Amino acid sequence: MSSKSRWANDDDPETEAILAQRKREKEEKRRAKAEKQRQLEEQQKQKQQQQQQQQQQQQADSQAQSQAPIPADTDAPPPSKRRRLSNDHDQAEQSPQPSKSTSNNSSTTEGNNLLTLPTSEWGPCRHVDNFERLNHIEEGSYGFVSRAKDITTGEIVALKKLKLEPTSPEGFPVTGLREIQTLFEARHQNIIELREVVMGTKMDEVYLVMPFLEHDLKTLLDEMREPFLPSETKTLLLQIISGLDFLHGQWIMHRDLKTSNLLMNNRGEIKIADFGMARYFGDPPPPKLTQLVVTLWYRSPELLLGADKYGPEIDMWSIGCIFGELLGKEPLLQGKNEVDQVSKIFALTGPPTTQTWPDFRSLPNAKSLRLPSSSSSSSSSLGGANPPLLPRGKFPYLTNEGLRLLSSLLALNPSSRPTAKQCLAHPYFREDPRPKPKEMFPTFPSKAGQEKRRRRETPEAPKRGQEAPKLDFASVFGGAQAGGDSAEAGAGFTLRLG
Amino acid sequence: MATPASSGLKFLSNALATPEQLSNSSSAIDGVAPDLEASIRFAGALLTQAAGVLLRLSQDIIAQAIVTFTRFWIGSEGGSLRIYNVKDVSAAALYLTAKLSFQPTSPRSVLNVYGFLLSKEASPLWCINPTPVRATDPPPNPESYVLTEGQYQAQRLVLMRTEAIILRTLGFNTHVALPHTVSLTYLQTLGVTAPGVAKRVFGHLNSALLSPQLLCVTHQPNALAVAAIYLAAREEGVKLVDSEWWEVFDVDREELGFLVVGMRSMEGFAQAEFDKWKGRSVPMTVEEVESEIERRGTEGE
Repeated sequence: MSSKSRWANDDDPETEAILAQRKREKEEKRRAKAEKQRQLEEQQKQKQQQQQQQQQQQQADSQAQSQAPIPADTDAPPPSKRRRLSNDHDQAEQSPQPSKSTSNNSSTTEGNNLLTLPTSEWGPCRHVDNFERLNHIEEGSYGFVSRAKDITTGEIVALKKLKLEPTSPEGFPVTGLREIQTLFEARHQNIIELREVVMGTKMDEVYLVMPFLEHDLKTLLDEMREPFLPSETKTLLLQIISGLDFLHGQWIMHRDLKTSNLLMNNRGEIKIADFGMARYFGDPPPPKLTQLVVTLWYRSPELLLGADKYGPEIDMWSIGCIFGELLGKEPLLQGKNEVDQVSKIFALTGPPTTQTWPDFRSLPNAKSLRLPSSSSSSSSSLGGANPPLLPRGKFPYLTNEGLRLLSSLLALNPSSRPTAKQCLAHPYFREDPRPKPKEMFPTFPSKAGQEKRRRRETPEAPKRGQEAPKLDFASVFGGAQAGGDSAEAGAGFTLRLG
Repeated sequence: MATPASSGLKFLSNALATPEQLSNSSSAIDGVAPDLEASIRFAGALLTQAAGVLLRLSQDIIAQAIVTFTRFWIGSEGGSLRIYNVKDVSAAALYLTAKLSFQPTSPRSVLNVYGFLLSKEASPLWCINPTPVRATDPPPNPESYVLTEGQYQAQRLVLMRTEAIILRTLGFNTHVALPHTVSLTYLQTLGVTAPGVAKRVFGHLNSALLSPQLLCVTHQPNALAVAAIYLAAREEGVKLVDSEWWEVFDVDREELGFLVVGMRSMEGFAQAEFDKWKGRSVPMTVEEVESEIERRGTEGE
């Protein structure tokens, strides 16, 4: 169809020339208009200054009344009548005062306090040439990240290039769109801030501009000789969970929480990053969710057992895995594949019972799962706590409250897991040692700053569009014995074949 | 810029057009008369609404798509009617919005529906087919609107490219908060139980999407909801509380007044558009826009 697109690559030089010409004309007209506007504004400004001088002599409240409609709009939605545009504009420039917080005590006389909704603007994407690329940071399953410098401001940022296939049948990939949309909406001190989206010359070059953070938690844990102190663990965990609490409050599931997606700066601040798997959810949850989410080691049992209806509880499971990893410095459940992952999980938590997880039998992949017959009696010996506590021996330095929190996060039954909000109120965070203030955090040399990182052994996040594997869990308990390390961790049950 | 109290309200609020964007449209700079631009935008929004209905998308998706469609044309850096086909932008906005929703749809469904709606013989829309098919007429010949495989492939590429252009033009800002849901909450808060009022409120909110005053890209959802409730209660003869209740919902009297006037003018505007284009179709492509501009030029001489 009409190939007059400004960005079409296949334009012949002639139309391009016409377009360029048109663009120039447009620019000129715009400039002329802007100039006119500016003059108008100046006149108005003078007028207003005179007015203000007069008014200063009058009483304060009478001033508020006579000027009524104008200051009302400084922070409010743009005015609807054009003839007032310039007026408002220069008011906004003139009064950058604290009006924002109290704001909008508009035309009505009582000085009422109307809340102003946060307002933003939109504009076209800038070109990626506004940034100078410095060095490569990493390649995830969703794109390349490099450190870059904003040429105009000199600021160091992280540029993440989205992987787009030019001939994708669905057009712009929905995962990329969701990543951008959820990140734009999730403004929180513990979530990475998406500053803007910039594009290259071609339509399939899309970059996310985010602040550069020195570390990711995974690399940091790899580099450290000792795990974080209990007080530090609490600070980190509190930050992660409050970021997640905000996300869940905005109806966003992250769906790929893991230590390598948690970024940290040298001020002890942690931010959740990589929203490549994130999406909105609802109540009831939207149908046909993909089960192929969350990197294997952080994937919850209901996902492994093939649930296609799930909710934010899957993120809470990942939080449990991250908690365990912060304590032990090593990923908690390092399965080699889905089946092995399930057997590692059950070795840690004990197998599910009809008391702890009544619905698990109805999950698609649970049919092939054969549980040891003694499981129901063995779990009742754990004092009847629901969910049962994890074996103490695995986490020797954790307090009782800590173990209780960890056990509830790693509850097999998703409905037994606490919400992010409940976690934040957990006594674990209030008992001694108290969370360490962020400012007191030690600093570490940044790997991402210059050196190239060594390849990680973490399995990759699942690729979207992959067929969910039909898993045969018949070997879960047989395989565990071969795994070796599960025997000592067995939560008081014996593994029996068949 | 958000105050602590309102920072959690981002999902209830929208990006709004700046005064600069409102005073300069790309089309106007390209020499499209303002009334023609308004007509085309109105018809494009009608087309989007009709396509959404035929695709059985829920109204929240359709409404978001119309807002995205409207935003695309605003400002000197927005899209120009002399460069982009209205019909393509409408289709891509709808496809893009549905993709991000809980109810995605396929390119083929979208293009089939647009093929039908844009057919000058089969379309039920007055702005495209000036002699709408009546129930008593024989059904239109399917050949006039069914896409061939070749046409489908070509249009699919256009759909994908237009989608990317919309994303670039809007800086990937695809978030649209709608006034519909808050209006129901407000009605409950006000203790209004008459179902007629709620129906009327939704009617006003849906027609505000088509407003030539661009109400939905210049006002926040809470203000739109309050204005629709005010108007609906009046029309239905339902008495609301005896005080300045709109302030409870953070809307001042001035904004309310403006929005009420804007919403009340919609019916007259729609009728005027219908009369103005009687017997002709509203331009939906760049070529049609060009020939309309030419026609006006020769008429003026």
